[in-house]
Amino acid sequence: MIQFENATRKYGKKIAVSDLELTIPAGELFALLGPNGAGKTTTIKMLVGLLQPSRGVVRVCGHDLVSETRSAHSRLGYVPDEPYLYDKLTGHEFLRFIAGMYRTPKRLTQAHVDREIKRFELQEFADDLAENYSLGMRQRLIFAAAFLHDPDVLVLDEPMVGLDPRSVRIVKDLLKEKTTEGMTVFMSTHTLAMAEEMADRMGIMVQGKIKFLGTVSELREQVDVENKSLESLYLQLTSIPPADQINSTDKT
Amino acid sequence: MQRQLLEVSQENTLTRKLRRTIVWNLVRSTIHKSRFRFGLVLALSTIFWTATFCLFYESFIFIDSMHAEVMSLLFNTFFSALMLMMIFSTAILMYGGLYRSEESKFLLTCPLRAEAIHAHKFIEALWFSSWGFILLGSPMLISYGIVREAPWSFFAMLLPFMVAFVFIPASLGSILCMLVVAGLPRLRLHAFSVLFAAATFAALWLAWSTFGSTQSQALTPAWFEETLSRLAMTEQVFLPSWWLSSGLLDAALRNDSHEISRQSTFEALKFLGLIIANAMLLSLMASWVARWTYRKGYSNLEAEMPCKKRRQIFWLDELLAHGGSKYGHPIRLLLVKDLQVFRRDVTQWSQFAIFFGLLALYFYNLQSFNYSNAYASLIGHLNLAVVGLILSTFTTRFVFPSISLEGRRFWILGLLPIHRDQIIWAKFLFSFGGGLIPCLGLIFLSDSMLGLEQKTIYVHLACCIALCGGLSGIAVGMGACMPDFRESSPAKIAAGFGGTVSLVLSALFILFVVITVGLTSHLNLLRNAGSRLPDNPILWLIGGSGGLAASLVIIMASGLLATFAPLFLGIRAFRQLEP
Repeated sequence: MIQFENATRKYGKKIAVSDLELTIPAGELFALLGPNGAGKTTTIKMLVGLLQPSRGVVRVCGHDLVSETRSAHSRLGYVPDEPYLYDKLTGHEFLRFIAGMYRTPKRLTQAHVDREIKRFELQEFADDLAENYSLGMRQRLIFAAAFLHDPDVLVLDEPMVGLDPRSVRIVKDLLKEKTTEGMTVFMSTHTLAMAEEMADRMGIMVQGKIKFLGTVSELREQVDVENKSLESLYLQLTSIPPADQINSTDKT
Repeated sequence: MQRQLLEVSQENTLTRKLRRTIVWNLVRSTIHKSRFRFGLVLALSTIFWTATFCLFYESFIFIDSMHAEVMSLLFNTFFSALMLMMIFSTAILMYGGLYRSEESKFLLTCPLRAEAIHAHKFIEALWFSSWGFILLGSPMLISYGIVREAPWSFFAMLLPFMVAFVFIPASLGSILCMLVVAGLPRLRLHAFSVLFAAATFAALWLAWSTFGSTQSQALTPAWFEETLSRLAMTEQVFLPSWWLSSGLLDAALRNDSHEISRQSTFEALKFLGLIIANAMLLSLMASWVARWTYRKGYSNLEAEMPCKKRRQIFWLDELLAHGGSKYGHPIRLLLVKDLQVFRRDVTQWSQFAIFFGLLALYFYNLQSFNYSNAYASLIGHLNLAVVGLILSTFTTRFVFPSISLEGRRFWILGLLPIHRDQIIWAKFLFSFGGGLIPCLGLIFLSDSMLGLEQKTIYVHLACCIALCGGLSGIAVGMGACMPDFRESSPAKIAAGFGGTVSLVLSALFILFVVITVGLTSHLNLLRNAGSRLPDNPILWLIGGSGGLAASLVIIMASGLLATFAPLFLGIRAFRQLEP
């Protein structure tokens, strides 16, 4: 579903992401972790088509993000860390616009919009202009928009920021349900507990390279620290200079 | 499974519907929330349109009776200058819209063609870059048609001519922007700077070589002849401005002969067709350029490393912060902070430099003309009003929102061991000091070029000090009384109710100062020159030295009132503020 083939992105002379080789199959929830400046945002930008790789290819459902951008985008849903909404559109109007963008048949549009409004409990403010929304409301509306066209791949950048506990629960349950149905989820986060709870696999990125790729239990086996909490493992792995306790897990 | 994608026409319908909904909601919410502002904008626009119409109407009657043959030249000059300005303004607007806006970032992650995103942002830029042309061009052309007793077909063709024409410079500007970004990603700032500098230099050179370097005395028939012959270069047949000008002139021709009338209408239609065809071709070319360069250009721009130049401590900051004492006074430190933000915000200082630079250029050129004393005095007062009005737009646009913009950082300022009053005083001193130096310089330049007597210059300089104090006091005081901490855009804060009140108060204050000083010093001038004043003892009294001194006292008192009354109210409101 998601393929990074030797994907590299340079910022001038600096290599932000170096020769990324990563395949995420259908139905998997993948969490990308890493310290600030590790290359997570660049990876996500390449995945959603905002940045073109300097070298290599990024594919979504087999579509190259550079040469088949629209086909790839039609299969994608994206929830950015700073969601953009049209201030002068109501939540309802925004969702209808998104439905039109993904060519949802007219007879289904209202049903899909109502479904997402109900799912993310937007009824109370769906007819207000977005300029009056709080951060949490904006985030819920963006989630509703991302799920509106039943994407095959969902890309989430720090998805739980601004959401209240109830909304977090709704999103977590929905992600579990959708991945069971075959949706692929790519999530970038700093919340280790969230990654541990939700992710099927995780990647830890340091200085533009994947330093670890696997499940939490594999991480516990491979990194040699006394305290086996994810936090300790993560800190051990991302410490500078990079820990060399990793066996053969350096996939880059 | 292949998902269905939108057709080109469906994409255009979708974005058109989006724009329509946004505009409709915007108008509705503006009427609902800011009825006063909406009414004010509508009323001022109507007044501006009517005044422009009257001005053009009278001018065309004068030209029609004396110099009918220069009309083509004037139209060509006007439209070619406008075309050049629109190319650059659209290029800048497209850069902001396509490469720096959050909306384009969002749309680029949606299954839309690059051309569709370009078309959407292009319409937006087209509107912003051409509304001035419509607002200025419509009264001009309608008044021309009325003066020339043009047939109905002229008025019917006006809108198609204007709309089709604006697409040409706008498309050229858009193509220029995309090519610069795609071809010179690293050098784009330099490229834009060089282009902007070249255009400014060309415009200045053109203005100077056309009006400034003529041999004959200004405003004489010979001077007109020379100037017009220099403007003839705008009459190039390959310029779209020439097509527009020729088409409109043909359309306005009225002749008793039915055959000739029909022929000129047909000629006008040919020019309209030519403009429409070129507009369509250039729009199509812009769309092609977008298809091939937009996504890649955006990506290259995103991948640029921010400049990590280490900021040196500037001597002026050091002097302001610590000069004369070991520890900086809080007000001084806040002042330095605002000065640093101003220096690093290109929007602020560039607008400041452009407006005051243009005014300085205009004032400098005043020496080219000969005036009678009374006329020079009148122009001097009007120039004082212009400087005040320009300053008031800056204080409203940049100083008024500055208190609101502290809202997000209020926890920093709120926790500092300083009085809140000091924040207000620092803002006031920054605005007053920043405005005073250039304004005094401009007034001195204007009065010197006009050859006004020393006494009048001193009076104007005193008025200028009162204006700077009053306008700064109003902007800072009102900004503290009516802050909007939820809004992050200074333009939106300035455009709100508080900003409008501040602007109206500023305009009234300027009007009061200029009328007071203008009336007394003008009457004084007439009295001293031995001119006959109307048989009114009050006017005679006002025109005396005592009257002039009294007006100065009134102006200084009103300046103090305009400075400290809003500041006092602002400080009181700011002390009680709970963000």
